[in-house]
Amino acid sequence: MALKNLRGRIAFIFEDDDFDVDQIVGVKNIKIQDLDELAGLAMTTYDPEFGSKVQPGDLIVGGHNFGFGHPHYPPMKALRHLGITGVVAESFSPGYWRGEISMGFPQISCPGIRAFVDRWDEIEVDWEAGIVRNISRGTDIAFEPLALADRAMLEAGGLLEYLKANTEENTQ
Amino acid sequence: MGYTITEKILARAADQESVRAGDEIMAKPDFVLAYDFPGYTDVYFKQMKEEFGIEKVAEPERFGIFIDHMVPVASPKEEELHKGTRAWCAENDVPLYERKGIGHQVAAEVGYATPGAFVVHFDGHISQLGTFGTLAIGLRRNILEAFVREKVSIKVPETVRVNLHGKLKPGVMARDVFHHIVRILGPSSCRFQVLEIGGDGLEDLSIEGIQSITCLAMFTGALTAIVNPANERLEYASSRARKELEPVSSDPDATYSAVHDIALDDLEPLVVIPPTPANSRNLSEYVGLDVHSGYLGSCASGRLEDIEVAARILEGRQVKSGFMLHVIPTSHEIMAEAGRRGYLSTLAEAGAYLSTSSCDFCYGRIATMTEGQRAVSTGTLNVKGRMGSPDSEIYLCNAATVAASAIEGCIADPRAYL
Repeated sequence: MALKNLRGRIAFIFEDDDFDVDQIVGVKNIKIQDLDELAGLAMTTYDPEFGSKVQPGDLIVGGHNFGFGHPHYPPMKALRHLGITGVVAESFSPGYWRGEISMGFPQISCPGIRAFVDRWDEIEVDWEAGIVRNISRGTDIAFEPLALADRAMLEAGGLLEYLKANTEENTQ
Repeated sequence: MGYTITEKILARAADQESVRAGDEIMAKPDFVLAYDFPGYTDVYFKQMKEEFGIEKVAEPERFGIFIDHMVPVASPKEEELHKGTRAWCAENDVPLYERKGIGHQVAAEVGYATPGAFVVHFDGHISQLGTFGTLAIGLRRNILEAFVREKVSIKVPETVRVNLHGKLKPGVMARDVFHHIVRILGPSSCRFQVLEIGGDGLEDLSIEGIQSITCLAMFTGALTAIVNPANERLEYASSRARKELEPVSSDPDATYSAVHDIALDDLEPLVVIPPTPANSRNLSEYVGLDVHSGYLGSCASGRLEDIEVAARILEGRQVKSGFMLHVIPTSHEIMAEAGRRGYLSTLAEAGAYLSTSSCDFCYGRIATMTEGQRAVSTGTLNVKGRMGSPDSEIYLCNAATVAASAIEGCIADPRAYL
């Protein structure tokens, strides 16, 4: 099974390194489970009109060590509910990375990405070529290849599907 | 070229002659650990049965479950979770540790910190088993793989080596060593790697102090931390080990991605200011800042040396009126010993609130702060809302600083009391 290339606009760029993703919905909202409510709160401190500007297929960009701190799942659930299809960052914090890959949510580690895009540029993540194309600028940049297990997990659509797809290895 | 301890442990766990950093392997964890928490263990137990048809784990002795969060419970729903956990452990013949203390500490006490073992948990603070030469990694939700399969997929990590030299000055503790490592190496310095601690300075630190350091490895970006097993650490762990394994150590010519040296003599007490564990500062810059509560406990700190220093500072003194000091020993074993040594009576007489071991103080489930309040804490984290209101603040520091601050009602330098 091949991963489908991601194509969309850069809906937001988090310039800060060590970004704590809980800030996306705000810590006081972190226990909210309703996706519509969470999505309505997401990103409002960064751009009050984010919810109306974002389109299905859009991606977000982050800095170094994206997801540092004590990341919870609701912020990215909210972004996915708004149509965000992936995160491209300079680098990722391991706990965040594992958590989101296990949700089947594409994360692309791409050193240099912040300088490579402006907000609302259209990009394409080409899994086979291992590059991010900036369609708006006509340029491309290499990203770090996924570990085989991470790639298999994304192809399967998440941890549970990945483990269920390879049941012969389920030997408990 | 030689091998790191991490490469050696993973080679054995993968049943291979050797592995190198960067290899993608399937490794069989010697132990699979978890504490019960809603959305984690209850979901795994259900998924094992319903999605994978696993009625019973094949090797129950490889598993260990802890009840340390929501202890004691405050609602029927919480008790329902624990009840489900007890039932699963009974059905599966899996050892359950309840009311023994915080699981990451109890894991060492009951022998899961077997030198040379590969251990997985969902929670990254299990890294502290690295104190005993155990490779213990927090997998978050991927721990499900270890519940439904014999092996887990893992990319052999590279290693950053930090050598400690010399001795700490009075009032400076292992917590400060860790926060200093974050300060000089940076919060992403060890991303996806193992933080290996060594050097002659290790021998100046107690086992407990090294547990504090290895517990917090994730805030350097590390997958875990590890120390070559030797001396009293090896003795402690070998006498309790649950499995017979040959302890292994890094070869002198092992390959490291970076090597750093830290002189312990130069360190000062530090404070980590909110809202991120990346914000290490000199304590002296924050002395005098008003604080309302103090937390001495957690899987990182709250061990005998932490309780001892607090008792020494508070002996014959009183916690400032209006200040709430909470002292929670990391395990029952530690609490009992602190009692025998008289620390607990000193702390009680000084006005501290003492509680039997529980994780609940660390994440604000109890002793919850309201808006505008501020704590000094030996807990693991200082992110917004961690101990209550998102508009309360946590200053992480060593146990001596918590005790000194409790006397003054503001951030205080413990060296004045030692």
